[in-house]
Amino acid sequence: MPQNPFPASSFSLLGPLALFAASLPLAAPAQQPTPVLLDAMTTELHRAFTSLGKAAPPSQNAPDPDKQLPPYFLSYSVSDASAVLIRAQYGALVGSSSNQVRVADVQVRIGSPALDNTHGDHRGAAVNSLELPLTDDREALARSLWVATNTGYGNAVDNYLRVKTEAQVRAKEEDTSPDFSKEPPQVSIVSPAPPVKIDRAAWEQRVRSLSRIFRDYPDVYQNFVMLTVQNETDYFASSEGSRVVTPHLQARLVVLAVTRADDGMDLFRDQTFEAETVDGLPSQSALESAIRDLGKSLEALRKAPVTEPFDGPAILSGRASAVFFHEVLGHRLEGQRQRGDEEGQTFTKELGQPVLPSFLSVADDPTETTYNRTWLSGSYTYDDEGQKAQRVELIQDGVLKTFLMSRLPIASFSESNGHGRAQTGRMPTGRQGNLIVTSTKSISDAALRQQLVDEAKKQGKPYGLYFEDISSGFAVTTRNSPQAFQVIPLVVYRVYVDGRPDELVRGVSIVGTPLAAMKRILATGDKPEVFNGECGAESGTVPVSAVAPAMLLSEIETQRQPQGIERPPILPIPSATKEAQ
Amino acid sequence: MNLLARRNRSGSSNFAAPCPILSPSFWRKGGKARISFAHAAALVGLCLFTPSLSAAQSRTEAQQDPILAAMLTELDRSVHDLQLPSFQKPFFIQYRVEDVEDFETKATFGATEGSGRNRARIARVTVYVGDYKTDSSGGRGDGSVEMTSLDDDPIALRSSLWAATDQAYKNALAAYAQKQAELKQVETPPQADDLSHEKPVISLEPAQSLKIDDAEWQNRVARFSGLYLTDTSVQALVRDIEYCTAAFHARVTTTRLVNSEGTIVRKSASSYQESFGVGTQAADGMRLDRSHATSGVAVTDLDTPEAFEKHAVALISSLGDLRKAPLVEEEYHGPVLLSADASADTLRRLLGAGITATRPRLGTEARTNGPFASSFHARVLPDFLNVVDDPSLKTFNGKGLLGAYDIDDEGVPAQSVDLVTDGRLDNYLIGRQPVKDFSRSNGHARAALSGPAHPAIGVLKITAKEGLSDDDLNKKLLAMAKDRDLPAVYSVETLGGPMNPRVLYRITPDGTRQLVRGARLSDLDQRALRSSVEAAGKDLWVANYAGEIPETVLAPALLLDDVTIRRANDKNDKLPFYPPPD
Repeated sequence: MPQNPFPASSFSLLGPLALFAASLPLAAPAQQPTPVLLDAMTTELHRAFTSLGKAAPPSQNAPDPDKQLPPYFLSYSVSDASAVLIRAQYGALVGSSSNQVRVADVQVRIGSPALDNTHGDHRGAAVNSLELPLTDDREALARSLWVATNTGYGNAVDNYLRVKTEAQVRAKEEDTSPDFSKEPPQVSIVSPAPPVKIDRAAWEQRVRSLSRIFRDYPDVYQNFVMLTVQNETDYFASSEGSRVVTPHLQARLVVLAVTRADDGMDLFRDQTFEAETVDGLPSQSALESAIRDLGKSLEALRKAPVTEPFDGPAILSGRASAVFFHEVLGHRLEGQRQRGDEEGQTFTKELGQPVLPSFLSVADDPTETTYNRTWLSGSYTYDDEGQKAQRVELIQDGVLKTFLMSRLPIASFSESNGHGRAQTGRMPTGRQGNLIVTSTKSISDAALRQQLVDEAKKQGKPYGLYFEDISSGFAVTTRNSPQAFQVIPLVVYRVYVDGRPDELVRGVSIVGTPLAAMKRILATGDKPEVFNGECGAESGTVPVSAVAPAMLLSEIETQRQPQGIERPPILPIPSATKEAQ
Repeated sequence: MNLLARRNRSGSSNFAAPCPILSPSFWRKGGKARISFAHAAALVGLCLFTPSLSAAQSRTEAQQDPILAAMLTELDRSVHDLQLPSFQKPFFIQYRVEDVEDFETKATFGATEGSGRNRARIARVTVYVGDYKTDSSGGRGDGSVEMTSLDDDPIALRSSLWAATDQAYKNALAAYAQKQAELKQVETPPQADDLSHEKPVISLEPAQSLKIDDAEWQNRVARFSGLYLTDTSVQALVRDIEYCTAAFHARVTTTRLVNSEGTIVRKSASSYQESFGVGTQAADGMRLDRSHATSGVAVTDLDTPEAFEKHAVALISSLGDLRKAPLVEEEYHGPVLLSADASADTLRRLLGAGITATRPRLGTEARTNGPFASSFHARVLPDFLNVVDDPSLKTFNGKGLLGAYDIDDEGVPAQSVDLVTDGRLDNYLIGRQPVKDFSRSNGHARAALSGPAHPAIGVLKITAKEGLSDDDLNKKLLAMAKDRDLPAVYSVETLGGPMNPRVLYRITPDGTRQLVRGARLSDLDQRALRSSVEAAGKDLWVANYAGEIPETVLAPALLLDDVTIRRANDKNDKLPFYPPPD
């Protein structure tokens, strides 16, 4: 992997316990009673907001007037999550646990929306987190929030003084937008998520037996199957009067399998299955056959020839396109990337300009919970700043219209569009939810393939490439790094112009510049595919989805990926030995 | 991983502060943050060193245990078949599988923050190539760790061992080649073999399991964390308390170990710890913390709920005294009395680093590392002090000792080791890595969960010839003040950090004791131990340290002739910016 000090993004397999910020609309009666937790939060928040900075602190030291500034904004965001995690490898259970945890994120803002303690590099320090009691004990909840608020206020005062000093000594910033947008308060009180209820023993057996399938694939020297079920409720209260309860349920089954080619190249495949609850996951037989496909794929991959450097036409499958758009485009459309000395600001000056071929449009719509009956894991009703989720038309007919906005304003947009998202403990920033790519130039798979062959011929290439599966990548959007993206192609075929059968190759990695690659899309397929995953960036890991049809690119540059040098295991895996038969 | 994350959470880093109001014998000492496995006193002597059984019979018995059976099968396969063409085979392979079961519950301000159980099996594989004289062992390449199956599934268990063995063997080949190269770089050859020869041991203790009433402990801990609010005797302090937490952690670890020399061990240990912490700030912003932990190898070793509660309330109440206590003087040099509790922490810190023997740097003639590297047969303590480490000491004054064990984590039976006799260092604690003049293990190699074994304290017992009573020590302290015409001397009741007294008294020659705060100790080092100890107590304090490697120190009070006490001058945080909720 290129030296990248700050991987801004990746679809990640792991981190399933990352706390999810989204919610699903649960049927709720018109008038929900306020949960005790939210009530205790609101009471303590009001007390803190009206007390802080109002009286001189009982300090012996000479009071500094700056240190008694009242906050202009205070919010409590409490994540209450219960989870079950079951994990198996080599056909047996290695872990099965459940837990419940409540964490409060306290955000204190001092100064004014125009310039406050979160300015610039201090943004991340504006959230202070503390674990909260699990019971509805008002005294204990209030006292814990008091502790967290005190710490948060102290940090905020400290940072505000720094911000003011820095503002005086630095050159004028390119983007002089305020630090916090003005938004109407939101009130939405619905039923909290129920605790996770699954048949642990039955699922342990299912997970165990799925992992056991890999015993039929002796070259797969490492595997795991992991089920995480998490029911979370986010409670949000702010000094602006917002009071929001957002439940979010998610069940996720992750399968990872690893093999090593004789030349030392490590090869892996992974697959994830997501649904709102475990009942929505595929049947056991469907999962079994998916695992067999992974096993067969790895056995084929380890025998496949190693790729040669290539620069020519390629098709990305729908799933691969979805990852590609999430990484290459989605992250660069996050509002905060248009502001700040360190950001590349790829699209900052492109508003109203064509950035994609005119037959493509891109929206981010967290309000959709399914796409063609596939559940979308990036759905939510309110974001992590208590703002209502909105569908955002990012690119229409190839023309850039807007960005993914949190409450951090930028020169071109001053308001949130409901995309302020964060993992618990982090400061929300503009993030993707469900990124949906649509096309008006879609053709059948067969026609797309023919076009690939035609394009390769035109370019005088013996073959084009077909990317069937792409895994985690990261986007580099900071100024010091090249504007490059790197996703890891897992399954790539050569599609020969002379009619030979397609040939699987291994070790392919994509290189090149993102804008250029995207402008070279010639046509799309007609069957959008969904990629559900978890996306990590500065504001932490959040569940996301991306939907896209297959894409034909006139030119993509690939090279051979750096590979390991270790030999495959010396002895056969025990399941392949005589005693095991 | 959940399990590992959990281990870090045992609350504040410093436990165990005796309340000046309570008699020292009343409460028990706990450890520093982490619980690991400990020995179960109940299992003493079961099936150990059974010379009447032949090895073959015991191996048959071991194979009744599905985990040991899987370990032995995979070990045999590796011993016979594992070889990279044109490279040497391993000459030593060891498998250690730890089956660990944890329960933890914690609470704050009277309400639970959650409870959880966790179970994991962790395999650690060690592979050496070479021979006993020169093997592949070094800083790296000694081992490989894998999570393994909770099911007694032989294929899955073996698969984890297989993966770890493959990795460990490849690492060992690389490490061995590197070592050969390094040996060519130095003129002075190694002073000892790389691995000691030891007699194989077969020892099969029954596996214990964790039996705890989860709900009862969750409620108990929640109640204790609310004492600042519910106990009427500390009502005056309610608004000043900034944290009040309690926690309980129980762990049972069953360790299975087999090696290519024929050793087969199954041993089981348990550890229980209940802790309490409370804190406030003084008017000048200084943080004031008190904490208490009680630990042992069985729940019955812990304080009764009544005793724990009484102690917790006394700690809360002591914060009131500390808030009122004056700051310590800017600098003091002179006599200091360390209570047996404070001595235990100090002796563990100063001796623990020196009395273990570890391989010195290649190319030197050194015997070992650390402060006592060159102190063999030299005086390290006054001649009236003796030190022995005896892991077979399971109880002391009726209390279970966490550091006790029968067989160490390299499968070697523990020996009692006379470390310091009449002040002279005559021995080191050592595992299977020999040093000059110490070619055999004395059974003191110990491992943290999933970690490599290295020599460590088991039950370290420090005794004084003609030790004094607490009364006599205090008299002697006052006499020293008068002799030197000092306006005051100091007595340390309990330490927070290594040099950080939490409860410190300034004593004037007329015997008046005044609690002071904000002090740091200095010049309390190995040299002070050797030449500044004037007298020691006769009663031993039992300090159980429920850390990653459980240790016990039995120590007397120490009267030192010349120690420095300074004002700490730590940063004083702001007081709360607004009052706590009513």
